[in-house]
Amino acid sequence: MALVASSLVRRTPGDALSGFNATYFWRQVHAVTVANLKSRYRKTVAGFLWVVLNPVISFGVQGLVFGRFLKIGVDDYLLFLVSGLIPWIFLSQTMEMCTPVFAVSGPLMKSFSVSPLVYLSAQVLDNIINFIAAFALVLTALAIYYGYTGGPVFLVVLPFLAICWGAFGISWLLATLQVFFRDTRFLIRFVVQIGFFLTPVFYPPEFIPEAFRWFVDVNPLFYLISPFQILIHDYHGGLFWQALLKAFFVSFLINVFASWVWRRCRNLVYFYV
Amino acid sequence: MSEALVQLENLNLVLRASVHRPWSWRDVFVRTLKNPLSLWPSAGDRLPIIQDLNLEVFAGDRLALVGVNGVGKTSLCRCIAGYYRPTSGKIRIKGRVRALFDVAVGIQPELTGRENAVLLAELLFPEEKDKTQMIEQALEFSELGNFLDVPFRLYSTGMQTRLGLSMAALRASDVLILDEVFDGADLFFREKIAARMRELVRDSGAVIFVSHEPEEIKEVCNRLVVFHQGKILFDGAVEEGLRFYRGLKPLVQK
Repeated sequence: MALVASSLVRRTPGDALSGFNATYFWRQVHAVTVANLKSRYRKTVAGFLWVVLNPVISFGVQGLVFGRFLKIGVDDYLLFLVSGLIPWIFLSQTMEMCTPVFAVSGPLMKSFSVSPLVYLSAQVLDNIINFIAAFALVLTALAIYYGYTGGPVFLVVLPFLAICWGAFGISWLLATLQVFFRDTRFLIRFVVQIGFFLTPVFYPPEFIPEAFRWFVDVNPLFYLISPFQILIHDYHGGLFWQALLKAFFVSFLINVFASWVWRRCRNLVYFYV
Repeated sequence: MSEALVQLENLNLVLRASVHRPWSWRDVFVRTLKNPLSLWPSAGDRLPIIQDLNLEVFAGDRLALVGVNGVGKTSLCRCIAGYYRPTSGKIRIKGRVRALFDVAVGIQPELTGRENAVLLAELLFPEEKDKTQMIEQALEFSELGNFLDVPFRLYSTGMQTRLGLSMAALRASDVLILDEVFDGADLFFREKIAARMRELVRDSGAVIFVSHEPEEIKEVCNRLVVFHQGKILFDGAVEEGLRFYRGLKPLVQK
């Protein structure tokens, strides 16, 4: 059997990426995502429609309650709501679905030498597909019905990349913590419920009294959602780029921290799962 | 001398794992009175799994790794396969490592055996571009017939093992690790898969074989390492190694 000299792999305590091959990684993520999707919609009548229905119905109900009943004083309220609510649903669902990934993939992680990040990335990708479908559907419907008044729509790709990167980092951290603290999953459910009211998703940040603004300043999720709100509802070039920069910076910090925790705990994750 | 495909230099693997101990408020109270510093969270218990291990596995080696349960054989294999990062020391691998541990695992229980086989092929052989033929070959080998189109969650453990082993035994590798892979298969399939594994072993560069079956070891291996409490106690010929291992009984039963 021919051995290729370049295939020499060295493993020392510090290295995290020895033997990593991006093409193989992507192939595995793609395969697991397809299998997840197939598995979830098997024996369902509406199939993929369920995924889109959840954010669409949430959006419809909240639009009715906050826009018509409570009459929140924001112009083009539905556009404002879609720019905050759909990214929020993406973040919250990703956190809830990804937190148990390492803990439940234990037998697989121990059986086959596949990076655990494959299973995590597949779950995040699954949610990204749902996010794109729901966001595109609701935004298109609103644009047709009310007319689109936001910034250049192609720019939405940028906050989308930032939020996906951030969501991956948060999920990575939570999935690692869940292996050691099984209450992480319950805590996240609780935090998501509270976070929905404390994050300016269905109301603008200006509604928050000055004394409580720090809630927003320390909320990383808001930094990931804010560029969507500025782009779609209240477009201002300078503000958008500033918010986008902050979103990427927050995502970077989250991923650096998640990666640091992972490197420290990797062996124990394998030990405990 | 042939080329070293696996080199382990001063390898140490220590896990700082918190060990669960039963406790009561009374114990905490008494312990705190005795030593208030004991309330400070500890860094965890130190579990030394591998200690200052040096090992070279050469092309052509069919190395049996034997030792009593819980001495760290699987952890050592997982270190070589890249699951665990060593606490200190170095691992050098030349070529591709393929490690097979418990293969009776369904990735997606809701999907059929055939669909799980497709997914397994992607996970086990990402380097293969066209996998259709190899999957068909494995499915035929598994002899699962009509059950291939039944959800995996309905499979018995034996059927799961058949599918997993049929897929896992498709390709040889530069370094092949087989860790008690035959467990779970019925007698007849075991004979069939053993023949396939012999081909796999023949075509692979170096093989690390973990087993508790002396007959299997004699048939497959040409070198034996006795591993005990994180260290190598014996490294040499198979027959002699098995005798040495049997001689460990008084040490193990202490």
